[in-house]
Amino acid sequence: MNMSKVVFGFFVLLALTLNFGFFLGEIDNPDHHNVYELFAALVVGLIATVMKLGERSQMSAMLLASSLVVDLHLIAAAVVWGIAVHVTDTGLTPAVMATIVSLSGGALLANLLSVVLLTMDTAGYSR
Amino acid sequence: MHDSYIFQFFQRMRVPLAVLISAYAIATVGFTLMPGVDDEGNPWRLSLFEAFYVVSYTGSTIGFGEVPYEFSAAQRMWTMVSIYLTVFAWLFSIGSIISLLQDPAFRSSLQRSRFRRAVRAIDRPFYLVCGHGDTGRLLTQALTDRHFPVVVVDNNQDKIDALSVEPMRAPVSAYCMDARLPDNLCDAGLRSRWCMGVLAVTSDSQVNLKIAISGKLLNRRCSVHARADFVEVADNMRSFDTDQAISPVDEYVRRMRLAIEQPNAFRLYHWLQSRPEARLPEVRQPPRGRWILCGFGALGKAAYEMLIEIGMEVTVIEADARIPGLPAGTIQGRGTQAETLQEAGIEHAVGLLATTGDDVDNLSILMTARQLNRKLFFGVLENGLSSHPLFRAAKPDFIGQPSMVIAGAMLSRIQSPLLEAFLKRLITGPDDVAGELLERLQSWDQATPPELFTLRISQRRAPAVAALMERGLKVPIAALMDDPAGRQASLPVEALMLCREGENILLPDPATELASGDRLLLAAGTGIGHRIGRLINSENALSRAVTGQDLHPGWLWHRLFPRTRPG
Repeated sequence: MNMSKVVFGFFVLLALTLNFGFFLGEIDNPDHHNVYELFAALVVGLIATVMKLGERSQMSAMLLASSLVVDLHLIAAAVVWGIAVHVTDTGLTPAVMATIVSLSGGALLANLLSVVLLTMDTAGYSR
Repeated sequence: MHDSYIFQFFQRMRVPLAVLISAYAIATVGFTLMPGVDDEGNPWRLSLFEAFYVVSYTGSTIGFGEVPYEFSAAQRMWTMVSIYLTVFAWLFSIGSIISLLQDPAFRSSLQRSRFRRAVRAIDRPFYLVCGHGDTGRLLTQALTDRHFPVVVVDNNQDKIDALSVEPMRAPVSAYCMDARLPDNLCDAGLRSRWCMGVLAVTSDSQVNLKIAISGKLLNRRCSVHARADFVEVADNMRSFDTDQAISPVDEYVRRMRLAIEQPNAFRLYHWLQSRPEARLPEVRQPPRGRWILCGFGALGKAAYEMLIEIGMEVTVIEADARIPGLPAGTIQGRGTQAETLQEAGIEHAVGLLATTGDDVDNLSILMTARQLNRKLFFGVLENGLSSHPLFRAAKPDFIGQPSMVIAGAMLSRIQSPLLEAFLKRLITGPDDVAGELLERLQSWDQATPPELFTLRISQRRAPAVAALMERGLKVPIAALMDDPAGRQASLPVEALMLCREGENILLPDPATELASGDRLLLAAGTGIGHRIGRLINSENALSRAVTGQDLHPGWLWHRLFPRTRPG
């Protein structure tokens, strides 16, 4: 067993689960979506991106690309949140919440792809 | 991988970046958890947005103070934690970046990648020079003076570093690497479509051989010029069509022999293969009689055989008596002492060749011998260019400079591929022909060698000539020597050789008509080249030179007067 592979897999998987946890719930209900969960998903996503940097295989290029997509989506969601609550005083209206959650939904897809790719890579490796 | 240094960078930065992100995340979340009070005394906590704001400015040590409300004790405590956390995370990552940038492996891959990019960005004909010794430096200098970019490869980092501060007129990319590896040569642009030629001038013949092979196999279109110190290596190189294999020993002996047998041909031979600023050599004709040869190395041996072959009497002085093939009657010694020279009978000799491998010895032999017999003809071998001022001050009658000879021969060959064939014809013919040509070239009142160029009469290379021939006009060689502006009767241009259907015609008659497929070697005075270039490209100018009339190439004119073509 390779410790660095464990850490790598841990972060990729954690990014997916946190993202899923945030995404889960009614799309426009602020009570169903915790801001800390979004924050955690973003931070773990960033760390997962850093982990993927500097890998050279074709698979890792795809992993890095999907990770960058995740970051982009989650940063966009966080910015929308910050602007709605602190800059414009709109508050978390159902429309704003729906935007944030759908953005995180996009990130969820990319995270899912990351995990699938990683699993395929591992499966191919052991064969 | 092409941008390997970027990958190396990210690979090394993984941990510092992860630490930085984690520190920020911990500090941000911590702030939102610390209880505080707002300006009206109500319990209040920082939101994630405000917390990230505070961490951002404390982490980067800017520090705006406590916003939006004054912090509680708990929040201040967390501020201290986050300051130490984030500042140390920053120090750690910046320290990693700096240590990475100073890592020799990283730097070399960065430099190599820069070099590769610089070579790939060259978008005009360039030359690849392998080896940056005396010869390499002369070649690089001369090629950049002609505005060719040059790529230099050498396995000595000091030489490459020194090159980067020399002023050059065209871009020079230099990199320290082993030219024996084909991969390295490819990185240096061997397979580039702009690579015109590979010049292998390292001091090691085997390396030159390897470079020549790589050059011929990996890029068919570029010409390969190599230095070969041994006859076998030179033959080997020629066996796979290396365009030019020069052996300094052969060149020295050939020139020496020419100087003795055909002085005019020698002067032309030497002058045409010199660097652009060289002057026509004034050589005292080497006398016939008894010669003294100091040093029996590769050059000494070849010179000995040549002198014996042309019927001279030779006494050899050599320090090492174990060298095989030493002729009988060899005097043991270095030749730097008067006794040795007297023993060799210097009083009755006519000439002396100092060909040891040590420049100081050669100079010393020269000085000592001159004191014993002032009338001797002195030939001396100059191994390295570093003591050139001394050699010039010593004023020998004949200096052999391997590096200059090789550089000059390669340069003139690069400039005009027909030159080698021309010189071969010239030195095998009678000396009077060379003498007449020399007189004509000298009548131009120009100290530097003439510019040589090769014209190819074809639709593409000489459109004007082809167009006139299509109209049925006869274009003699003399037409190219006319001044397009009509001010002078003829320009300082000399047709050296006409190559037609595989036959080389030495010094063709100016009245000879050009035909399609001809190749013409011309010598011209400084600055005449572009006039000839204009002639072979402009139908009007050429027609004026041939028939004295203008063409009317305009579309409207053609329409109005379709039959008024000249000729």
